[in-house]
Amino acid sequence: MAPVSIPSALSFELLGKCSVTKARAATLHLPHGPVPLPIFMPVATQGSLKGLTPDQLEDQGCRLCLNNTYHLGLKPGQATLDAIGGAHKFQSWPHNILTDSGGFQMVSLLKLAKVTEEGVRFLSPHDGSPMLLTPEHSISLQNSIGSDIIMQLDDVIATTSPDFERMKEAMERSVRWLDRCIQAHKYPERQNLFCIIQGGLDLDLRRACTAEMVARDTPGIAIGGLSGGEAKDEYCKVVDTCTGLLPEKKPRYVMGVGYPEDLVVSVALGADMFDCVWPTRTARFGNAVTSSGVLNIRNAVYAEDFGPIEEGCQCTCCRSPADGGLGITRAYIYHVTAKETAGAHLLTMHNVHYQLNLMRLAREAILEDRYPQFVKDFFSKLYDGQKEKYPSWAITALKGVGVDLLSD
Amino acid sequence: MATDAAVNKLNELPPEMIEFALLKTTGALAPRLGRISLAGRKTILTPGFIGNTSRGVIPHISPDNFGKSVDLNGVYIPLEDFVEKHPQKIPPVFKYDVPEALRKFIALPDDRLLILGARRNPPIPSPVANTNTEVGLSTSVGFKQMSSEYYGAAVRKLQPDIVIGLADIPFGQASVGTKRKDKMSDRTELWLRDMIARKESLDKDEKSWAIFAPILPIERDLQSWYLEHIIDDMVDKISGVAIYDTYLLDDLPDQLHHLPRLSFHAPASPHELLRQTSLGMDLFTVPFLADATDAGIVLDFTFPAPKKDESSSTRRTLGIDMWHEDHACSVIPLSDGCTCYACTRHHRAYLQHLLAAKEMLGWVLIQLHNHAIMADFFTGVRASIQAGTFDADVAAFEAYYEPSLPEKTGQGPRIRGYQFKSEEHAKKDKKNPKAYKKFDDAKILELKAAHGQQPNKKPGMRDVIDDEALLGLVGMQNQDDGRMQDLRLEDDPKA
Repeated sequence: MAPVSIPSALSFELLGKCSVTKARAATLHLPHGPVPLPIFMPVATQGSLKGLTPDQLEDQGCRLCLNNTYHLGLKPGQATLDAIGGAHKFQSWPHNILTDSGGFQMVSLLKLAKVTEEGVRFLSPHDGSPMLLTPEHSISLQNSIGSDIIMQLDDVIATTSPDFERMKEAMERSVRWLDRCIQAHKYPERQNLFCIIQGGLDLDLRRACTAEMVARDTPGIAIGGLSGGEAKDEYCKVVDTCTGLLPEKKPRYVMGVGYPEDLVVSVALGADMFDCVWPTRTARFGNAVTSSGVLNIRNAVYAEDFGPIEEGCQCTCCRSPADGGLGITRAYIYHVTAKETAGAHLLTMHNVHYQLNLMRLAREAILEDRYPQFVKDFFSKLYDGQKEKYPSWAITALKGVGVDLLSD
Repeated sequence: MATDAAVNKLNELPPEMIEFALLKTTGALAPRLGRISLAGRKTILTPGFIGNTSRGVIPHISPDNFGKSVDLNGVYIPLEDFVEKHPQKIPPVFKYDVPEALRKFIALPDDRLLILGARRNPPIPSPVANTNTEVGLSTSVGFKQMSSEYYGAAVRKLQPDIVIGLADIPFGQASVGTKRKDKMSDRTELWLRDMIARKESLDKDEKSWAIFAPILPIERDLQSWYLEHIIDDMVDKISGVAIYDTYLLDDLPDQLHHLPRLSFHAPASPHELLRQTSLGMDLFTVPFLADATDAGIVLDFTFPAPKKDESSSTRRTLGIDMWHEDHACSVIPLSDGCTCYACTRHHRAYLQHLLAAKEMLGWVLIQLHNHAIMADFFTGVRASIQAGTFDADVAAFEAYYEPSLPEKTGQGPRIRGYQFKSEEHAKKDKKNPKAYKKFDDAKILELKAAHGQQPNKKPGMRDVIDDEALLGLVGMQNQDDGRMQDLRLEDDPKA
């Protein structure tokens, strides 16, 4: 079918490119203010980021966070969102919001859902009653939410599925559903619809899908269906292949990715935007994300550790009182975590800050054209200089874009 | 000027000296106005209240929110929240080698007053009986004993501004025999002397602290020796009294009337706070604030009460149950005219959603609001005493508001260990409802199939449902899905 050109409510300002890898630094101007790319977006699933006030989230540097369409569609529901005037007003968040269309949930619970051309027929796990979600319904909900970036409904199946025909069908259906989403989208002048490239781990399917999606000229482009348990090598190949075919002047969002090493490698492969519940969820289990790895602060070795969660970290917890921070020690986190909700709040702030700061540092490195060295330093710190511990997928992927992690 | 003189006088005092100025008093068993000052800390006007903490925080309020959004000039910290490693190990906080270790440890702002006691307020009765040398504590890992000597050493290390003398009170015991009461006053006196001796043995350059003497919840003649001894040779060494039964304030000797009174008589309602205030109590911790917050109840009262609408015969409720679905579309503040963080930034609809979704932020915002309501309440109380209209204002308050807080209807956050009493351990019921229920066999098969696709290698986690995934399956219609809240978070593979 003929591509439909749709208006865009964003502008993508490319500021620098790495001369070795495919990494890019940019500023993305969205309806609720500019955000720096590359960026990590924390996930405020139900309209709040796990105990943090909007001010606390803002204090960690966040200007773009996620809400989940399904959760908000359920609670508080579309009628309430319409009455209140959207999710920004609902949660008093003055910055940008991106909403997921929910396709990801299908990856893990496919057998409870039946996908037809019309939409996704769910069997409610609660009362067994059938539910139908169509592309039109998803867009209508996201229009009510009023998010700055909205996602098309896509037909997601696990990347690990061996059924090629089903994979191809899903990819093609996702393209058809994008057209329906574009048709249904009421506010293209203030909400940016992103397409989602599907095709599993089959690179030809991905290429075909990319061509179709790019032709639709959406304001931004997402690579979907990943982070479902596939091998990391395969993941990198898909990202690398897709970004190679994407127009330079549009933001590229890899959905559901969030481990620090995944972010650093994916940026080198030319991706700009990421989201994941992992940093905030793991905080609630007492895990702190640091540049030398994840520390479980509930471990007794931290009971008498009076250092900050991470030396030099500028988050609200770690910063010294002299610099306006709290000067929280690992020992105090150990003392309060899992016993008072405030313990989860403290670690959540730290972890969100870590992820945002990692992307900020990456952006600086790209702008100064030293991203390859940044990547090497990052892995060296993470694995304490022990190159034999570097994950082989990262070595391979980075070699593909001209960075030899193992060289000095 | 009087204020300048007071400031000058304050500067001349040794830095640890608490000054209590009685600004207005109309005799015994009457409300009074006062001011507690300590160099470097914000002044506390009385009657007033301080934060009641758990493990160093007011529940749900992280230290940054406390510093920015809570208008409270002091906190009460129970030592039993920090000594669960005792006696096998030295509790970690004692090894924090910085000045004012406890304050730094919990990130309490420098300008807030820190009051340390042995037990939480209200304390969980400990089945470990007090002895001549030790008191029973309830820690996060079980019941322990702590000696007076240990308490003194802890205080010296932790350097609070004010310490509450160790009291021998058999909490939770329905009736206490006369002999036991004799022991109570003997031990409490001994332990108070220990604390005074500890303070006097401090090195010259060591940070000192002020001592509040416990006044026991027993009749005056049964603690007369203790009280006499305080008056005879300890009155100039203590800076205040901790009252465990307000209704025995009548028995407080005149010679102690100049001291600030901190109430450990937990009030159940603002009415009880007013009653205690009317008897001359100065400073409170208000445990019902956190209880209301956990129940999702937004306090909604002012003192003095607004003018009563003569046409209405019913009394107004003291709080709003934010679980109620009526609030789902209500974009008004929690309380009319409230200037707290929650009311100025958010609205009822969001709060109702946060509670229904069991998002932690709901309790954060309600807790901030409830503390603001209480701060305004005490501001009103002080103005009323100043104006000499307190008794009439109390009567009007009682006529305007219902006598107790509304019943809890919604679910709270997970029950924390300190929230159930020891006898409840014996009960078979779960303290927290099961995270998820057993489905029938067909459903289990169905779910297992779905779970086969989860990239989770940990066998222990295979049967745990991923909330984010499952919730997405529910249809778009608004529906009451009770089981939604029963789903448990999947552990994450890196955890």
